[in-house]
Amino acid sequence: MIRVFWYLTARTVRNRVARELRHLRSPRYVIAFLLGGGYVSLVLFPPGATGAAPRAPNAEWVELVGAVALAGVVAWGWVFGRERRVLTFAPAEVQFLFPAPITRRELIRYKLLRAQLVILFNSVLWTVILVRERIGVSPWLRAVSLWVLLSTLQLHRLGAAFVRTSLAEHGMAGARHRIVSLLAVGTGVAALALSVADALPALAAAWARDIGAVFRTAGEIAERPLPAALLFPFRLMIRPLAAGTLAVWLQAIGPAALLLALHYVWVIRSDTAFEEAAAEASLRRVRSIEARPASGPPGGSRRRVSAPLFTLPPTGWPELAITWKNLVAVMRLRRVANALIVFGAAAGIVGVVSFRPESTVGEIIGLLAAMWAGFLLLVGPQWIRNDLRGDLRKLDLLRSYPLTGAAVIRAEVAASTIVLSVAQLALLLLAYLATLGHPTFDLTLPQRTAMLAAAIAVLPAVNLLALLVQNAGALLFPTWVHLGSGRPGGIEALGQNVLTMLATAALLVMLLVAPAILAAGAVLLLRPALGLWALAPGIGCGLAGIAVEAALLIDWLGRVFDRTDPSATGLEMA
Amino acid sequence: MIEVEGLGKYYGDVPAVQDLSFRVGPGEILGLVGHNGAGKTTTLRSICGIIIPSRGRIRIAGHDLGRDPLSAKAALAFIPDEPHLFEYLTVEEHLRFVARLYRVGDAEDRIGPLLEELSLGDTREALPGELSRGMRQKLAIACGLLHRPKALILDEPLTGLDPVGIRRMKETIAARAAAGTAVILSSHLLHLVEELCHRVLILHRGRAVAFGSIGEIVAGRPDLAGRPLEEVFLALTHHGEGPAR
Repeated sequence: MIRVFWYLTARTVRNRVARELRHLRSPRYVIAFLLGGGYVSLVLFPPGATGAAPRAPNAEWVELVGAVALAGVVAWGWVFGRERRVLTFAPAEVQFLFPAPITRRELIRYKLLRAQLVILFNSVLWTVILVRERIGVSPWLRAVSLWVLLSTLQLHRLGAAFVRTSLAEHGMAGARHRIVSLLAVGTGVAALALSVADALPALAAAWARDIGAVFRTAGEIAERPLPAALLFPFRLMIRPLAAGTLAVWLQAIGPAALLLALHYVWVIRSDTAFEEAAAEASLRRVRSIEARPASGPPGGSRRRVSAPLFTLPPTGWPELAITWKNLVAVMRLRRVANALIVFGAAAGIVGVVSFRPESTVGEIIGLLAAMWAGFLLLVGPQWIRNDLRGDLRKLDLLRSYPLTGAAVIRAEVAASTIVLSVAQLALLLLAYLATLGHPTFDLTLPQRTAMLAAAIAVLPAVNLLALLVQNAGALLFPTWVHLGSGRPGGIEALGQNVLTMLATAALLVMLLVAPAILAAGAVLLLRPALGLWALAPGIGCGLAGIAVEAALLIDWLGRVFDRTDPSATGLEMA
Repeated sequence: MIEVEGLGKYYGDVPAVQDLSFRVGPGEILGLVGHNGAGKTTTLRSICGIIIPSRGRIRIAGHDLGRDPLSAKAALAFIPDEPHLFEYLTVEEHLRFVARLYRVGDAEDRIGPLLEELSLGDTREALPGELSRGMRQKLAIACGLLHRPKALILDEPLTGLDPVGIRRMKETIAARAAAGTAVILSSHLLHLVEELCHRVLILHRGRAVAFGSIGEIVAGRPDLAGRPLEEVFLALTHHGEGPAR
């Protein structure tokens, strides 16, 4: 059977590459390809770089920081993991593979094989990106280490997805079949809770001194028995990457490969338990149906859907219907609900501790919230996709509406801009409130208030430009951009996501140059008369510049949208 | 009404539709038939403004689709063969969404009866993923009918419907036409076309090979007189298959 899967995968890759190459007959794609090639070569071989290799980082610190980061990634996967991305089969795969005489175990093997495409690509990508860095022994061994690491993480996500799905779909029956996995996770969570409780006083004391003390203390805490045991598997995973000599690498790669093999066995064996749990749950469901009275709701039980934020009146700007639809869709995503729960919990803690000057927790939450708001400026436009990227596969439908192309673009981008801006401003507000009671903070309260007010004015406009860039990419190069509400995800796809993020960030910076010059000019001109208040008209001028750019972009993209032929661009109805 | 003059659509040098002209008056139902790849869907998508024709002119309810696309699109409804719905909108929210797009001021009064007419009354709060294929098709049809279009374009409208649904759908199409809507119906179900349509346009390799009522079409072919549409169609298209598109 593996030969069939191999054939399917190999032909899919070959035909896809051929299709992408055919696109290069279009001047638009040729220009993008050349610009993209230039960009990648700039990333790999920066013009100012000298021949001297940078200093090798401390392997112990690389291992510790890497292990903590991996633990964070794995924990995130267990708490907020998106099973659909890991387990989803394409409609054609469902149609051809599911009715075929193939066991579930073989289907999982097929998924693992397909996942290797992304892992191999990103292993090569990271190896090339890090070619000048002195982490590890050599680029070749680093590639092997990366492959082992990314494959292990991918298998872990898949195994975690099995456990979560089993629990969600089969309840206690699923839990019984996952008892070993659940015990392992439960032990890990308990160890983490004890470690954090044990470490907090020392970390708080270090925090009061300086950031260097925090790192030193964290390093010491990591050597204590419980945290050391907790971090041990993650250290095993990262150790080959951090190894400085061939001998150390040879010692490290064995345990890492063993961990990979154990994960493979865990995932492959999971399918049997999964099937048993499914059978048991099916049997129980049949019994409950037999016991149910004949009359019931039509169509059986339905998922409760949350009410939309506002009811859409039938009159007014018609394009608002698209924005409304996209906002409703976001509010009904489970991951948004998860994010709101985390935010609510953080807000609750802040509400309790923000006015206590001695509270370190509030300060840490405030710092984290501010960091996340800044991080969202970079990654938010890639993550939040309730716009044309989500709808472009329904281009036929969009084109049949009585709306101009510009109106469609405006409405689509408005939805993701609102979501991103609300998320950032909520985080900034949280940071502001969390630091209200800290008189010793570097920035005074009036300064922080002014910064919050400026962010409220500027962030939505910057987000609008950033999301226009993302949507322009989808509209101009639909076959090169991942369409749909999800994005290629997981740490194994991090390399390509980072490259895309940097490219779009560079475009955004270029777009912000003119508004920034306008803003700076206004401030310089008015500062003698207005002092610090000159910032207000400066921001106004900058916003006006962004508004002009956004209007021009929307008009241009609208004309592109009106000219786009769904069948010629490969955007047939999905 | 729908007027098409000299419609042509080319992909590179490959013609999908060539020199197509016809007119569908108010209250008339035109059946569009042809082999796979004959150009039916390309014709329908051109009339709906989804793809831009390479040549020719299209007018919907007096509005030129090329010059005044918004007015033309506001007057028509396109119901594709595959219902494309939004994953996170309920049945009722789909209709509210469409009401806003087409500025249906009396949407509150229209939504309930329309859902009842299409047997969707019990599914108002359901998401598309919870509906059967036939119910999804009905929802797409309800969305198309909400704004009382003057031109109705249907591509294989009976796909996925059960016998009761098929009967209701046929009644709905006939009722819309009786109310003055110009209807184009594309289907491979030739008995349906024969039953519902006033005139038929037979496409073969992107060109019209016959246009008119069945009586008019067979007038020049005495050997086909009295034959069902299926035999007329096969005779006129020589059993041939069209190009790939």
